[in-house]
Amino acid sequence: MAGPRESPILETNDIKEERREEVSLDKNKPEDKERERERDNNMAPPAGSSIHRSSSRPQLDLSKAAIQGNSEERDPTILLPNQSDDISSHLALDIGGSLIKLVYFSRHEDHSTDDKRKKNVKERLGISNGNRRSYPILGGRLHFVKFETHKINECLDFIYSKRLHHGIDSHSWLTDAPTNENATIKATGGGAYKFADFFRQRLGVTLDKEDEMDCLVAGANFLLKAIRHEAFTHREGQKEFVQIDHNELFPYLLVNIGSGVSMIKVDGDGKFQRVSGTNVGGGTYWGLGRLLTKCKSFDELLELSQRGDNRTIDMLVGDIYGGMDYSKIGLSASTIASSFGKAISENKELGDYRPEDISLSLLRMISYNIGQISYLNALRFGLKRIFFGGFFIRGHAYTMDTISFAVKFWSKGEAQAMFLRHEGFLGALGAFMSHEKHGLDDVMVHQLVERFPMGAPYTGGKIHGPPLGDLNEKISWMEKFVLKGTEIIAPVPMAPPGTTGLGGFEVPSSKGGTLRSDASALNVGVLHLVPTLEVFPLLADPKMYEPNTIDLTDHGELEYWFTVLSEHLPDLVDKAVASEGGTEDAKRRGDAFARAFSAHLARLMEEPTAYGKLGLANLLELREECLREFQFVDAYRSIKQRENEASLAVLPDLLMELDSMSEEARLLTLIEGVLAANIFDWGSRACVDLYNKGTIIEIYRMSRDKMQRPWRVDDFDVFKERMLGSGDQKPRPHKRALLFVDNSGADVVLGMLPLARELLRRGTEVVLVANSLPALNDVTAMELPDIVAEAAKHCDVLRRAAEAGGLLVDAMVSGQDGSKESSSLVPLMVVENGCGSPCIDLRQVSSELAAAAKDADLIILEGMGRALHTNFNARFKCNALKLAMVKNQRLAEKLIKGNIYDCVCRYEPAR
Amino acid sequence: MDHGSPSQEHVSHLALDIGGSLTKLDYFSRNNECSNGDNNEEKSCSKESLLVSNGDKKCPVLQGRLHFAKFETSKINDCLEFIQRNQLHLGGCQHGGAPGNEKRIIKATGGGAYKNADLFKEKLGIFLDKEDEMDCLVAGANFLLKAVHEEAYTYIDGRKEFVQIDRDDLYPYLLVNIGSGVDGDGKYERVSGTNVGGGTFWGLGRLLTKCESFDELLELSHRGNNRVIDMLVGDIYGGMDYTKFGLSSTTIASSFGKAISDNKEIEDYNAEDVARSLLRMISNNIGQISYLNALRFGLKRIFFGGFFIRGHAYTMDTISVGVNFWSKGEAKALFLRHEGFLGALGAFTSYEKHGFGDSIVRQLVQQSPLSASHAGYKIHGPLNGEWNDNESIECSVYVN
Repeated sequence: MAGPRESPILETNDIKEERREEVSLDKNKPEDKERERERDNNMAPPAGSSIHRSSSRPQLDLSKAAIQGNSEERDPTILLPNQSDDISSHLALDIGGSLIKLVYFSRHEDHSTDDKRKKNVKERLGISNGNRRSYPILGGRLHFVKFETHKINECLDFIYSKRLHHGIDSHSWLTDAPTNENATIKATGGGAYKFADFFRQRLGVTLDKEDEMDCLVAGANFLLKAIRHEAFTHREGQKEFVQIDHNELFPYLLVNIGSGVSMIKVDGDGKFQRVSGTNVGGGTYWGLGRLLTKCKSFDELLELSQRGDNRTIDMLVGDIYGGMDYSKIGLSASTIASSFGKAISENKELGDYRPEDISLSLLRMISYNIGQISYLNALRFGLKRIFFGGFFIRGHAYTMDTISFAVKFWSKGEAQAMFLRHEGFLGALGAFMSHEKHGLDDVMVHQLVERFPMGAPYTGGKIHGPPLGDLNEKISWMEKFVLKGTEIIAPVPMAPPGTTGLGGFEVPSSKGGTLRSDASALNVGVLHLVPTLEVFPLLADPKMYEPNTIDLTDHGELEYWFTVLSEHLPDLVDKAVASEGGTEDAKRRGDAFARAFSAHLARLMEEPTAYGKLGLANLLELREECLREFQFVDAYRSIKQRENEASLAVLPDLLMELDSMSEEARLLTLIEGVLAANIFDWGSRACVDLYNKGTIIEIYRMSRDKMQRPWRVDDFDVFKERMLGSGDQKPRPHKRALLFVDNSGADVVLGMLPLARELLRRGTEVVLVANSLPALNDVTAMELPDIVAEAAKHCDVLRRAAEAGGLLVDAMVSGQDGSKESSSLVPLMVVENGCGSPCIDLRQVSSELAAAAKDADLIILEGMGRALHTNFNARFKCNALKLAMVKNQRLAEKLIKGNIYDCVCRYEPAR
Repeated sequence: MDHGSPSQEHVSHLALDIGGSLTKLDYFSRNNECSNGDNNEEKSCSKESLLVSNGDKKCPVLQGRLHFAKFETSKINDCLEFIQRNQLHLGGCQHGGAPGNEKRIIKATGGGAYKNADLFKEKLGIFLDKEDEMDCLVAGANFLLKAVHEEAYTYIDGRKEFVQIDRDDLYPYLLVNIGSGVDGDGKYERVSGTNVGGGTFWGLGRLLTKCESFDELLELSHRGNNRVIDMLVGDIYGGMDYTKFGLSSTTIASSFGKAISDNKEIEDYNAEDVARSLLRMISNNIGQISYLNALRFGLKRIFFGGFFIRGHAYTMDTISVGVNFWSKGEAKALFLRHEGFLGALGAFTSYEKHGFGDSIVRQLVQQSPLSASHAGYKIHGPLNGEWNDNESIECSVYVN
């Protein structure tokens, strides 16, 4: 018990100290970065890395500047297509009675979008150059932070340190821009009035006050429309995300529980009415709770309640009726007849009651009351859905259960209580949206990606200290965290689904013991706005599409993957550290990464829905994101390079072998080859063991020889008929095939490239679809042109197609002039898929891929991540072939009732 | 002790309402000299004789008083003693030793009627005949509203105004005891309730102020100022109203909300202020939930009963304001002078259903609005409210 209670929270002082240290560390950093850059360049010079890596300095990019509209107009708008005007970041505040919520926007650290490959692809795919128009939204990140109102100075320090009050993001410190005297910050909440002078004095900014209700509603509407897993129900300890159809969103009742409670009937964007409220809210809980328990913070009070038993203080129906139910009117013995009713009849003083019990009674009284009044108001207006937001809830299971129960009980199941993951930030988000140019109006679900950097679950979400932004801060914090002796990586046994009995009338499920210090932290990440993301247009039913094949809400499944990932971690850290040259700094970052990722895992084990609906794809992506967070750009860089080289060396032999075969034998061998080569996968434990036993080509040959049809899932004959026809009928070739590639090395070189070559030979355009960012040893879109170029040296088919696809313009130094005929040839192209994960969520793919998909009539998904873990059940509007070797016994059993190394060749004709 | 010496009178029909915090009782006493009218039968009256008189066309009238008393349930022995001393449990029998009938039955309601059944049997040798709580509340309220002149009143801005209720226009109404919807004699539905009631006020109040009694707590709240602890709209908006939604700067935004930001401990607050905030929180809430329920059923009149109110001006004021505010003046909060005794009265009236005569009480008519006799029993110390003044109703009972 002592463990979890000991607070690992760092005081602000600690963090400030840390800052000082970090200054000295910072001095070394530019060098590090320089080195890193060099390495990058060495690795892939022709891929267009000559393009400027956007430094973080804001500078106007005047290239391609043009006057928009009629240039004779006075003051015509000048369009700077390459200047993202997102230098300035927006900040908005919601200053409530007890908490200050802050939302700010920072622009992307721009990975340049201007390399030549992309330009070629764009031209090829007919993506108009002025496509800024179609993406009016700025790419960037939305951050969520909170502070206690009575520690407003911390908030001001934070704003100051991030320079948010200048309307310019943190990177602009070099510009030394003249401080705008009239800088304004959007603000809402009562404090926007109260602290207006304070902000002016301290930061020299004016708070531009926005109406509180307007903001709440705007914030809620945005969240409910733009974030996929925002709303959920919570009953008897079970959280369930609810997919809400935009067209059926309105009307609803919005109940914002802050210090007080507002109830708002929302009929549409900007259309709403405050219909009710109550003065018994979060402030009452905390205020009364403080007086009664001497707790120092809201969170402490809430944590106390976890271990409470309200029966010692509340008078229950059973207490009055001598343990009998008053069943005539549907009251069970455990129903609370009178909150705190027992405190009257006993000769006990305040000190005789456990603070835990008091806290729980109080919490129940208030939650239940809010639930009841909310329902009565929903009833008045015939509203079936009630969304609860505000900082009182804090994702606290018992609170949500109690409110849900009250709504369900009084409505006899007619109305439903729902909660929001960004519950506390409605007002701040709304204020943010009141910026004229916030650009969020048109944000679609698929353009938002939520990430959970370490700053979010451990610090950004905490009230106690400013969030950590800088890497060094983060690492120091992780180290300090460990020093404090709080073992965060200890696996936490997951409490069985809480049995709160009559929906909160009983003692809460004994989560108390497992409750960690950060339990009340926000389950809110950083929202990345990626305006170029689109829904993959070939999905047969985008609304019903669910990428994950494996649902991790199944506890056994989660536990399994938790173990797999934990066991793989040391190896991954080794590789990551090695990829950065094994320096002391890299080791330090490696340690921090391991701890951070373990902490994520522990958090998710405890509460699988903490970051939204959890699927395997999310978990795997989280790992990659976490690596990137600690600046491991590409942990498998050298391995990938080595394997690419080895595979490319044997490619000519393989191609010769293939060319000697008959058409039919060749097609089978090609598919066998893809499946066999898919054995090379650093994501699979079994395969990592294999690596130590042989060379690539040996393994490949062995693997291919072992292929024995029928495979576990074997639609090859159907596919063959579509490709080669039967009898004399020659089918028309596919127009364009999208090949979703998987791993570097043999997988792509000996497996997918020969298949691509075959398709090209048959007159099918081929688009290789690869990751935008590295994930394990997966090949990236940046790396592919080099690989293709190398392969093309030995193969005319590939060379001509690659030239036609514009892949060789830079890569082939010995520019051959035969490229004139290229336009008549079928091209080989490479597009990035928009993600940096071993899996792919086809609801969020790059605009490039979406454009490439337009003319495609064949999709080939290859590898476990993209064809099995995700998309195994996905249906497409065009023909689809899913190819993978199952390198995991559990998955084999579960998915195809087979064994490890079984193969899947699933062919599904267009729908 | 001035207890109205009920033993000198003919006591009959004791009824109990044993709640979680208070035990309420009422009983009828007949004055020896009180007979008038054309029938002397009641002179020798006992229940049995009443029964005999049943069916008589002429209406016998019993002149007497209805007495009310309350005790804390935790001190139920006081109550037993009171009953014993005044021999209330001996029913209508004039002289102590009731002949024959071993099984003395007393009507009782409230949860404690179940819980304490054995105690009553053991100590007084009486059986508690349990009546349903809601039935009793409704019967009691209906009885009061029909039979007692100047029973219901409004309380707005410190002014009490009696409301004449037309017996034919009584239904439907919302009875908040807390929480019974009523639409006619014996026809009712429990539509809602809340666990934040009098017990909460007292329980929380005791923990926060160390008061010894409910009444003391109420007394304290008289002198308190809730602005010290409650977070008002003005506190959030820097003294300004939030006019867009009709919230004035003195509207409570968050009860006890100020206690979070001050570095004050519980001892640093005046008990008076704490009591006041608590009272406002609870009465506001009751007012609101009541109104919302009245609204559901289109009820314009809400009668508030139960011991929480106790004729306490500020409580009633807050509830009235709550109802008025949320209903925009559409609905009215009404209070009952015998607010605490609905259940006990209901239990009392239930005697008739069980063979004690067609109706003793249905035709009971209150003759004079008030009696100054102090038949009741104080709990602790004096209470300056008006409640003391009507602890008994002088009345005539017409017996069919």
